[in-house]
Amino acid sequence: MLKMIGVETFYGKIKALHGVSLGVEDGQLVCILGANGAGKTTILKTICGITESEYGTIHFNGIQIDRKEPEDIIKLGISLVPENRRIFPELSVYENLMMGGFLIKNKDLFAERIKKVTDYFPILSKRGSQRAGTLSGGEQQMLAIARALMLDPKLLLLDEPSLGLSPKLVREIFAIIKDLHKSGVTILLVEQNVNQALKIADYGYVLTSGKIFLSGTYDELYEEEKVREQYLGEGKYTRRAKLWGG
Amino acid sequence: MSELLTGLLQESISGIALGCIYALIALGFTLIYKATEVVNFAQGEIMMVGAYVNFFFVTQFSGMAGGLNGWVFLAALFCSIIFAVFFGIILDYIINRPLKDEPVFSIIMATISLAIILRSLTAMIAGPISLVPISPFGDSTIQAGGIVISVLDLAIIISAIILMGLFFFFFNNTRWGIAMKATSEDSEAAQLMGIPVKQVYRMVWVFAAIVGIISGVLLAPRMALLDTTMSYLGLKAFPAAILGGFGSIPGAVVGGVILGIIETVSMGTLSFHFAWIKEINDIIVWIVLIAVLMIRPDGLFGIAKVKRV
Repeated sequence: MLKMIGVETFYGKIKALHGVSLGVEDGQLVCILGANGAGKTTILKTICGITESEYGTIHFNGIQIDRKEPEDIIKLGISLVPENRRIFPELSVYENLMMGGFLIKNKDLFAERIKKVTDYFPILSKRGSQRAGTLSGGEQQMLAIARALMLDPKLLLLDEPSLGLSPKLVREIFAIIKDLHKSGVTILLVEQNVNQALKIADYGYVLTSGKIFLSGTYDELYEEEKVREQYLGEGKYTRRAKLWGG
Repeated sequence: MSELLTGLLQESISGIALGCIYALIALGFTLIYKATEVVNFAQGEIMMVGAYVNFFFVTQFSGMAGGLNGWVFLAALFCSIIFAVFFGIILDYIINRPLKDEPVFSIIMATISLAIILRSLTAMIAGPISLVPISPFGDSTIQAGGIVISVLDLAIIISAIILMGLFFFFFNNTRWGIAMKATSEDSEAAQLMGIPVKQVYRMVWVFAAIVGIISGVLLAPRMALLDTTMSYLGLKAFPAAILGGFGSIPGAVVGGVILGIIETVSMGTLSFHFAWIKEINDIIVWIVLIAVLMIRPDGLFGIAKVKRV
């Protein structure tokens, strides 16, 4: 479905991505892991055309998208739920959803999609006329996801959906993601919450300083000691702790 | 005493008319600032261009129609608005697009340069001699309970209210209007929704040009002479916008109206009773500006300045 080959992106003179190649197959839930500043967000922004890649190609369902404008890429069926949610705080919840469906010109289709996402997130229809900025963190995240679902994307990009949420809400959001995936949406997920993310993902990429360092299924990645040590919190200290624990 | 009261009332209405024009200038200024974060110092010049362009159309059409009548003014207004659309598109291309992500200082310099260029171009094209503006209503007045109101002032107030009503409707009820608000809140997130941000910016500049041009059309007949110094009145958009709360659209409107009333009333009856007010009339709006900045920097409709990082 999505194929990135040797993509290099710069911020000014600073190289953020050093030739990243990755692929997402139809119906998969793929996860990109990595520390802060590794370039995870940049990958998603490059796919959406918000930041332009200097080298390399990105194909989506056989169409080259790496030189297209964001609105054209979105029209092809890619939606991004950005980091920090980025809802429009001064607009009402309903207006936020309306903006999510900005590209839908057919009124019936628009009403249908509004119904679909509010059925999925009933809390949003309860708060329809409320200013989005007054929602709680979890509700804002749901709104951000609902807003992206308005266009019924073929590929949903999620940028750290669990950021800044309480453990209970994190579990809820992950349940939603899993649910969405089951309902047939292909998802590319960027997460720091590695344990949870890998558990629901079909395939994972590990990114370090702008390069893909490892890739594989959960089991394959789990085999790698480095991944366990750096991302899954199972280093020599935890092993020693187990030793002491008997 | 009642003389003072009717005097004040009469001047307040005249002040509201002037204030409506300030409000329109401030509205154009705020629209651009909110959406693109460009501080447009040329809004007064856009107004001046509007006055000149409208004058040009009025004289052309009255020549064709063989005299002045209501249709001449309406046709001239219509043509001026069409001119404003193109003017806005051009300004978007030469100011907004190239400077979008430049530092604020460069943008301010560019809009100040634009202001000077517009003033000089107008003087070059229209010639150095001041024009005598033509009012569609002449000097006609209506009387209501001892208060004399000029028909022109009434027309200004009504047109400004209609124009602002259209804008508020557009902003709160249409897909593109809400998209404009969304873009001014978070342009990157708006892009992610598939909102064509560049088109939105162009639309904002076109709107600002339209309110600017119309404010010029409305203001010109109130003035004794029409020349390029008219553009300096555009600077009053700043105290108006700051009084209302910088970046707030209802604030710009209310701030403009209050400013117009303060100015007119202080110049009229009050100055008759208190001579010293006359002396400070020219600076009174700027005193208000400084007072607002000291006492309530966020203005009347101020939005707390929280910048997400």
